[in-house]
Amino acid sequence: MPPAHGAPDDARRVPHRPGDAMHDPSRMHHMDNLRALAMLAGVLFHAALAYSPLMQPFFPTADRSNAAAVDAVIWFLHLFRMPVFFVVAGYFAARMVQRRGFGAMFRDRMLRILLPFVLFMPLVLWALSASTLHAASTVAHPSPVLQWVAQFAAMDDAPPSPPSTAHLWFLYYLMLFYVLAWVVDTLGGARIGAFLRGLHPAGLLVALPLLLAPALAMVSAPHPAPESPLPQWWALQFFGAFFALGWLLQGHDAWFARLRPVLPWLVPASLALHALFLHQLSLHPPGPANPAATWSLALLQAFTSVWMTLACVAGARLLLAWRTPLLRYLADASYWIYLAHLPVLFVVQYRLMDLDWHWGWKLSASIAATLAACLASYELLVRRTPLRRLVGGAATSPSVRG
Amino acid sequence: MTAALTLSGVCKRYPAFALEDVDLALPEGEIMGLVGVNGAGKSTLLRLLGGLALPDRGTIEVLGHPMPAQQVQAKREIGLASEDMRLYGSQTLRWHMDLVRAAYPRWDEAYAGELLRRFDLRAAQPLKAFSHGQRVKALLLLNLARRPRLLLLDEPTTGLDPVARAEVLEALSEVLRDAARSVLFSSHDTHDIERLADRITFLHGGRVIDARDTAAFLDDWRRIVCHGALPASVGQWDGVASVRANGSLSELRVRGAEAVVGLLRAAGADVRSVDPMNLEEIFVATVRGGGKH
Amino acid sequence: MSPLANLPMIRLLVAKDWDLFQRQLAAYVGAGILALALIGSAKPWTFYLGSLLLLVVLVAAACFAISTSLLTERKERTLGFVMSLPVTPLDFYLAKIAGNLVTFGVPFVVLVGGTAGVILSTPVPDGLLVWSLLVFGHVLLAHAVSLSVAMAVESEGWNTFAMIASMVLVNPFIMMLGQIPAIAGPMRGEAIVWSAEAIAILSTQVLLSAAVIGFTGWVHCRKRAFY
Repeated sequence: MPPAHGAPDDARRVPHRPGDAMHDPSRMHHMDNLRALAMLAGVLFHAALAYSPLMQPFFPTADRSNAAAVDAVIWFLHLFRMPVFFVVAGYFAARMVQRRGFGAMFRDRMLRILLPFVLFMPLVLWALSASTLHAASTVAHPSPVLQWVAQFAAMDDAPPSPPSTAHLWFLYYLMLFYVLAWVVDTLGGARIGAFLRGLHPAGLLVALPLLLAPALAMVSAPHPAPESPLPQWWALQFFGAFFALGWLLQGHDAWFARLRPVLPWLVPASLALHALFLHQLSLHPPGPANPAATWSLALLQAFTSVWMTLACVAGARLLLAWRTPLLRYLADASYWIYLAHLPVLFVVQYRLMDLDWHWGWKLSASIAATLAACLASYELLVRRTPLRRLVGGAATSPSVRG
Repeated sequence: MTAALTLSGVCKRYPAFALEDVDLALPEGEIMGLVGVNGAGKSTLLRLLGGLALPDRGTIEVLGHPMPAQQVQAKREIGLASEDMRLYGSQTLRWHMDLVRAAYPRWDEAYAGELLRRFDLRAAQPLKAFSHGQRVKALLLLNLARRPRLLLLDEPTTGLDPVARAEVLEALSEVLRDAARSVLFSSHDTHDIERLADRITFLHGGRVIDARDTAAFLDDWRRIVCHGALPASVGQWDGVASVRANGSLSELRVRGAEAVVGLLRAAGADVRSVDPMNLEEIFVATVRGGGKH
Repeated sequence: MSPLANLPMIRLLVAKDWDLFQRQLAAYVGAGILALALIGSAKPWTFYLGSLLLLVVLVAAACFAISTSLLTERKERTLGFVMSLPVTPLDFYLAKIAGNLVTFGVPFVVLVGGTAGVILSTPVPDGLLVWSLLVFGHVLLAHAVSLSVAMAVESEGWNTFAMIASMVLVNPFIMMLGQIPAIAGPMRGEAIVWSAEAIAILSTQVLLSAAVIGFTGWVHCRKRAFY
């Protein structure tokens, strides 16, 4: 991390040097696109949860029609979707701090992260709760969660449900990580960063998973979302490590490039680990009997998570380093889509619950309808309105790209 | 022409010490040396002028600004370095330079760089790693580079090794060559004052006991050695600050030597020599003489 | 000269204090997040450890922020350097108040908001809200008193006494609240009852804090020496 002590913001602004590839904005397309992909993968992931046998007892929109194949795919995606997102977030945060200082970074993130969190949190919670209560009283084939909600709603003195940040937990953790980045930097993080970058990056492939496994062993497998309004230790450790990784990688492409020889092996190796994970998971399914993951499950998740995340970051450099108007549009819209998708998805999937469709059709339909609604609302409510400064694309706010 | 500083009837009382009825003025562009023993009130006087303390009575004007009413305007044109003023140990000299630069529009970065080199200071070093001499030089740098119209220095060379002392004095004499800048500085070391000051003020027991041009001071005082018996009243003669007898030889320290020599000769004494005195001797003689003129 | 005429210098003084104390603040913030994470781990021992740590952090932020920004400046004789800059005693006072608004005010507001949120959104009885706000009112008053003593009194002993005494008094204060039926009664109920007693105590705390801070400014600007 760059030095911070006492230096005024402008003191560490890196002047743009022509021909300096590291600071060429065009080189950031791959990270931008990767973030958009990670956000859009969230829509797929949340939509698919309804058709996961594993999630039947836990997910409100769990459908009668489901398939084990869904579990096999989504729990793999689950292990690196948000880690990739946090690597990108750490990367862009470090880039902005390097160019404009912590003050500017905090001001920008207040607008782009904290304000949307405060604004949309109540709306999202209200929408989720309203659609769920409505579904609990109207759906003919309710999920276990809906049945429980219906019973609960019938009680007179039902205690309030525990507070939750729903799928917006990532905004809350982003703010925590920005603050922690300042804390670490102020307390001498630059030296730690320099020390770590002095080591061979291959060390990451082993050391990082070993660091993360204890965090994953604190919670059930597959790991849950840290939705509590109190920060969860395991989530700070797990997602924070990826944020820190992104921070470390920023401006040190050459260091990361030293991983090149092993990169092609990461995806097949991760797939093999995931097969083992699924096998282990069938022996220790999540539920009251297994409130915390076994060490083998935790280790398998940790390795898959780190290896696939690194593979995605490396892959993005090869495959996503370009920009078309469509990609640009999707990248701009992805933040809004992610914020808005869950309430929309719930409404759509509650409607689909009583239909006798195959899960594949329901999944496709729910994704298509959710994306269509989110894109339409983006076009109508965000793209040409002041909301764009908060949750729209980076065109009016180049700072968000650091 | 405005005065660099004017004090009239200034009193400042502390439990164990008081500055009494100080009247003092320094024309702009001149250098005044403050001479006095420890506890004479030199630091208090400088603090009053720098706006760090308020007088109990009397008025103070600095560069035409009444204090403390216009202290911000005055402080913008003052450099104040005192022996007991500390910088922030945890911060680097660069940090201090940035802070002072932000506070003073006339800050001269090129000059600051030159002083860094000349004083052999490292800007990136935290102050706590500085030696006493380096701290003194750092504080002086922060004051000189803001290009003050009035420089107030309290014991700028105390505790410095000979090399650092020479560096500091050299930098000071450079500032002093600039006719537009006024300086008021105190020192134990009367040689420094004798060398640098246009005007000299003797401070003793919280009072100004003498204040004049340096040349006038030096011209006025003489050491007279004479032989033969002296009348007993010689100690009470006008201008005689001290008399020391050793057998038939006597040494007198006097102001207005011509008159005294005439009186001595008239009394039958054999005047062997009349020599100039240095400032330290003059100061001691003045203090012993109770400041009588 | 109007009080804010020297705003750039006040800003500079605040920025200076920020530079000086940001390492310490960073440690507090880090410890605060650690404490919340421990509380959030939902195991009894981490909950107690986290609550304890959070309390320590708040008291540290309340007390030591003052002590470092005012007492150390005097003890290490850097005050003379600061006051030799083109500032008035009022500028200095306003800068310290503004700095304290950040170092104490921000964590304080977050904690008050967080506590209110937890009380209102969890099975914890809502009646506890009034009681908690009164306890926070005491912390506010204790901080105002410590700040004002640090500003006005040079003796380190008196300062330490003021800090410790004002914080320790929270225990008798809590006991006193327990003796007032109008406050102790509704504590375990779901209704939020703003009795006349509760309103009187809270407004006294707030007004007294403001008065103490204002009086300190008045005293400070009448000081005869600043070094």
